[in-house]
Amino acid sequence: MTLQKTELTPAAKNLPGTAPAIETVNVTKIYNVGSTDYPALRGVSLKIERGELTSIVGPSGSGKSTLLNIIGALDRPTSGRVKIDGVDLRKLSDDQLARIRNRKIGFVYQSFNLIARLSALENVEMPLMPRKIVQRVRHARAMKLLDAVGLGRKGGKRPTELSGGEQQRVAVARALVTEPEIVIADEPTGNLDSKTTREVLHYMNEVNRTTGTTFVIVTHNPEVSDTTRRIISIRDGAIEKDQRLQRLDSF
Amino acid sequence: MDVFDLFRLAFKALLARKTRSVLTILGITIGAAVIMGLIASSGGLTAGISAQVDKIGANVVIVRAGSSNFLSGSTSSYQLSTQDLSALSSISHVVQVAPYYQKPVTISVGGQSVSGTLIGIDSSVLPTIFKGLSLSEGTFPNSFDPTSAAIGNSIAYPVSSTGAGSQLVGLNQAVSMKIGAGTTSLTFLVKGIFGAYGSALFSNVDESVFVSFQAAQLLLRTPYFSAIYVIVDSADNISSVQSSIQTIYGSDVSVISAGAIASSISAITGQLSVFLGSIGGVSLFVAAIMTANTMFVSVMERTKEIGVLKAIGFRKSQILSMFLSECVVTGIIGGICGTLLGYVLSFILGGALSFGPGRGGGASSPVFSLGLIVFSLFFPIGVSVLAGLYPAWRASRMSPITALKYE
Repeated sequence: MTLQKTELTPAAKNLPGTAPAIETVNVTKIYNVGSTDYPALRGVSLKIERGELTSIVGPSGSGKSTLLNIIGALDRPTSGRVKIDGVDLRKLSDDQLARIRNRKIGFVYQSFNLIARLSALENVEMPLMPRKIVQRVRHARAMKLLDAVGLGRKGGKRPTELSGGEQQRVAVARALVTEPEIVIADEPTGNLDSKTTREVLHYMNEVNRTTGTTFVIVTHNPEVSDTTRRIISIRDGAIEKDQRLQRLDSF
Repeated sequence: MDVFDLFRLAFKALLARKTRSVLTILGITIGAAVIMGLIASSGGLTAGISAQVDKIGANVVIVRAGSSNFLSGSTSSYQLSTQDLSALSSISHVVQVAPYYQKPVTISVGGQSVSGTLIGIDSSVLPTIFKGLSLSEGTFPNSFDPTSAAIGNSIAYPVSSTGAGSQLVGLNQAVSMKIGAGTTSLTFLVKGIFGAYGSALFSNVDESVFVSFQAAQLLLRTPYFSAIYVIVDSADNISSVQSSIQTIYGSDVSVISAGAIASSISAITGQLSVFLGSIGGVSLFVAAIMTANTMFVSVMERTKEIGVLKAIGFRKSQILSMFLSECVVTGIIGGICGTLLGYVLSFILGGALSFGPGRGGGASSPVFSLGLIVFSLFFPIGVSVLAGLYPAWRASRMSPITALKYE
């Protein structure tokens, strides 16, 4: 998988003085199960700068998925403040949140979540559909992304006709087709073998480096977190550790 | 996302669950077809009956012996004869009275026997009684000529199973017939042939043999008329004449006017249309429930997909329109199929719903108004969208994370 720099516009995402990609201030999330309150997040404050490649690790039930949903503008915190690209999500309506997700965030899931009856190309095209972009342009952009993930010739295939690794590459292409500020990946390699895991990680690293897209990856897998320059550990709904590592961009 | 995107996605979604889509469309098709078929054929029946009624002049009253309703036969032993002519003539507003004879006959034409009617009537009243009836060839026989006749169009030009026939009987040729089931045989020289006319209320003109009243009286050897046509000076005085006749005869005769028949028929067929329309309505309602059910199942099955769509930034209204366009497509296909099927159905029903004398004379051809076609095309779309509204609304309101977690 190779990525040419011209394929994705390296947006002016690293300008000094601009807001962090993601900022949370004292975010809590409390689920009501019956009459008991179950706190999933107990005051999480973090800043993820533009262009960072961060992993969030932690045991099951630690609250990392809840945090991911909140910074992905999919869910609202019980209290606290979330800013995406400087925009405070608190005041936004559901449709405005949908717009933020569409414009600024791309999602990659463990189970790929491709739409089975649509071709790979159509799946990649989907995020462009809520915008007023004509089909021809959507096709062209989706094709470019499929080429970039090395599936240019498999655009007409249905997800079921592709291997797990190929499906995840389609999903990554779908996440990137809108040229988002942030890509949020929830166990992106959870269903992949180690060779494919490395391929997908390599590709995400490369996109991060060449375009400055911010990546937040939730994972159990140390092999995955080891490729990121920042590892945030969550335990019992709070940040336990926040390590920034000096790495060579050798991966 | 434009209309084309919505339709393309809807088609793919429907194709992904072919069997269910076909069954839903079938339900809607049947609903629409039943409405279309029943309304068109009952409209055809109404129009067919009206056309027959309209052929009887609006200022004509038919007096028949016996107190009967016009559909069943006579129930009285009273017979109409010459003395009744003067009684009826003396009623004010009555312009003319025309007694006539009508007997079923079996006519031999080109070696085949066809059933027809022998009608004896004064030729001068024919245009008044049967509006628009005229001879296309020859002349009406003289009043006292018992050997000549004018024949209906279908006798001269029999309509065969292969379509309009060629001329079998021409002017100055002879036609023979037997009266009723009896053996009395009559032969007439054809002096005139009527233009194609169709059925009037009690007479299938095209299959009738007309002779003068006097000739019929002579040949049939009976002083009793089949009926008397009473011609009134104006259609406005019909009811006054009708009640005068009723006053004189009581229940010995029945008095029928085209207007009275028309209004009672339109009352019956109006109710028929409502009744048949409601049957169609019920079947479309059932189809709507089917559609709603299919949509609920579809929304449930695609919960995860809805979550994905929400995550990648589809707004509520966009998800709503995605699901509703599936209903629109279902409705459009169902509407088109239903309209076509209803078109066929209405001819089948039209053949079954017939009224009036003569072979095939009363089979009604269905009436398709523009309104009915538009209704049958678009109503299924409305029904389908309405049925899908709630499931689609539920889909659009799902929380993205709940939907994404759904397995």
